[in-house]
Amino acid sequence: MRVIVALLLTAATCFGQAYTQRGFIETRGTFYPQKAAIDPAQGVGESLFRYEGFYRPAATLQIAGAVDVRIDTHHQVGRDFKLSWQDREIRRPVSEVRRLSGIYHNGPLTFEVGKQFIRWGKTDIVTPTDRFAPRDFLNVMDNEFLAVTAARLNYEKGANAIEAVWSPRFTPSRIPLVDQRWSPLVPQTEFTITIRDLRASVPGGPQSGIRWNHTGPVEYALSVYQGFNPLPSFDVVGTNFTPEGVSIDLQRFHSKMLMAGGDIAIPTPLFTLKSEAAHFSSSDDRADEYALYVVQLERQSGEWFFVGGYAGEAITRNGSRAATFAPDRGLTKTLLGRAGYTIDANRGVAFETAVRQNGDGLWVKGEYSQAFGQHWRATLNLTLIRGKLGDFLGQYRQNSHAFLVLRYSF
Amino acid sequence: MSKCCAIAFAVLWIFRQQDPRQIVEEAQRRTTSQSQRYEGTLQVVDAKNKITEKRWQYERLGSYGSSKSVLRFTAPAEVKGVALLVINHTDRASDQWMWTPAINRERRIALQDRSTRFFGTDFSFEDLEERDTDQFEYKLIGQEPVDGSACWKVQSTPRQSKASQYTHSYVWIQRDKFAIAQIENYSKDQLVRRARYTDIRNDQGIWTAHKIDMHDLKRNSHTILTIEKLQYNLPMKDDAFSLQALRRES
Repeated sequence: MRVIVALLLTAATCFGQAYTQRGFIETRGTFYPQKAAIDPAQGVGESLFRYEGFYRPAATLQIAGAVDVRIDTHHQVGRDFKLSWQDREIRRPVSEVRRLSGIYHNGPLTFEVGKQFIRWGKTDIVTPTDRFAPRDFLNVMDNEFLAVTAARLNYEKGANAIEAVWSPRFTPSRIPLVDQRWSPLVPQTEFTITIRDLRASVPGGPQSGIRWNHTGPVEYALSVYQGFNPLPSFDVVGTNFTPEGVSIDLQRFHSKMLMAGGDIAIPTPLFTLKSEAAHFSSSDDRADEYALYVVQLERQSGEWFFVGGYAGEAITRNGSRAATFAPDRGLTKTLLGRAGYTIDANRGVAFETAVRQNGDGLWVKGEYSQAFGQHWRATLNLTLIRGKLGDFLGQYRQNSHAFLVLRYSF
Repeated sequence: MSKCCAIAFAVLWIFRQQDPRQIVEEAQRRTTSQSQRYEGTLQVVDAKNKITEKRWQYERLGSYGSSKSVLRFTAPAEVKGVALLVINHTDRASDQWMWTPAINRERRIALQDRSTRFFGTDFSFEDLEERDTDQFEYKLIGQEPVDGSACWKVQSTPRQSKASQYTHSYVWIQRDKFAIAQIENYSKDQLVRRARYTDIRNDQGIWTAHKIDMHDLKRNSHTILTIEKLQYNLPMKDDAFSLQALRRES
């Protein structure tokens, strides 16, 4: 790994002005005041080194690459020191190619191939049409996007752009570990139940999608996606009764998915109205068919930034799966809000909240961030989670936490 | 006869120069270029005199009402790659999008949000637009020196079609170079921002201020933009000023 990092750093010198780079090294300490039923650990430490390099051999060509190297105290990161490409590991890999893609552009045409980030949609927090954006949900609330291996062709002319994406390899979202506090499979009884995640064979077929985006005074887009749900569902494949309790074997699967959706942003004199909606159908009877929609209002005023909205869901067919892990659906029927205040050039505070409309779940986050000089930034985060056990947010009510991040950017 | 003509032309010239629209249009004409590129260093000085430094690269294609520009932060390290695309229009306010690499997404800056400070500097998003003369009414207030240079003082008021955080502005234009020396922006009767243009040099035949000091009167903070490596009329392609360009080059 050190060789790769050294090579990347040396590249900056070799390529001169055609090469640009950025990155950071950060250390995060998380403290959970409460012990979880299946995870007594209350302190978690982790460090991440990220390096991004961009090489432009010609005016029309660019190669973008990024690597992550991480380590932690809680075994959310694996201990296998090989460089990961596919992002299919249960745990976060120690080192991975975060991005490696070639970008060619000529006039209105842009073609990108390789491991890359593709973002669709306009809304925040819940983004129904953002289908090529699997996430690392190990900590559920503080998640990061994962890149996908794909070819992306974009044709942008005037106010219109059409983007076609084809991904030969499916990248699933990384879900919380079953033996840790963010597990979505925490037994909800007083009996001793052991959950065994037998994993799943990741679907092998390709995914594809197309999106048309118009950027006039009113911005809108229509998109279609065919592929798989990056979030897994679970089927019970075995139940064993033992003197110690019950052991349940679960198998994960990613159902086929067809998404048709759209998003729109309408500026008004007082605020910007953003909305996004999508319908999800599947040829797999185990999967639900449903629609997700988000309506949000956005406004910047002085040093404040506000976003407030509502996310909703309508199920059109109930699937036969036993359980599912779906943070996107878990945050529906929910009022969502975000506010930020810039204190000065170096300091800022931010607040986020999600409140279930039936009052069964609450998530509130407050964050203070301060930069020191040109390279250092410290961020203090306090997150409160409350609610009932059967609610998506409420099930994590023992996971209120605080974390401190110290980052050095270069 | 020729002497009379010369006098008549001179009188006409003087009269013409007293027309505030003509003064502003002449100032624009003299600074019109096909393209512009510079590296800017920003020193944000807050009310307690604490200084924060940022740097950006600026590229513009076209001039004034029909121009497009991209501004990319190069420092501090944590904002490297953050970019702003501004597409100016002759008949309305510009379109603006901000690209944030950390979330791989662009966000449109809505018109009502343009009075917000741009990334912790004392420039607002609106201050980064290039304004076309047709979007304003002008009134010559008089003559007033700035930093020892004789200037015309012109009041500009946005027409109805132009949505602006400022109800009116005063612009000081140097009489000899037709270069802008100072702008004061008002919200109703309150002075909210003042920009001082200094270190005015002739670059490729265009008088250009290499130092712009933007003062936010409400916060009592100011940002000094120092322009370096300035070049005009470089060959630039239209497709470098699009949402895709914002995404692929940041």
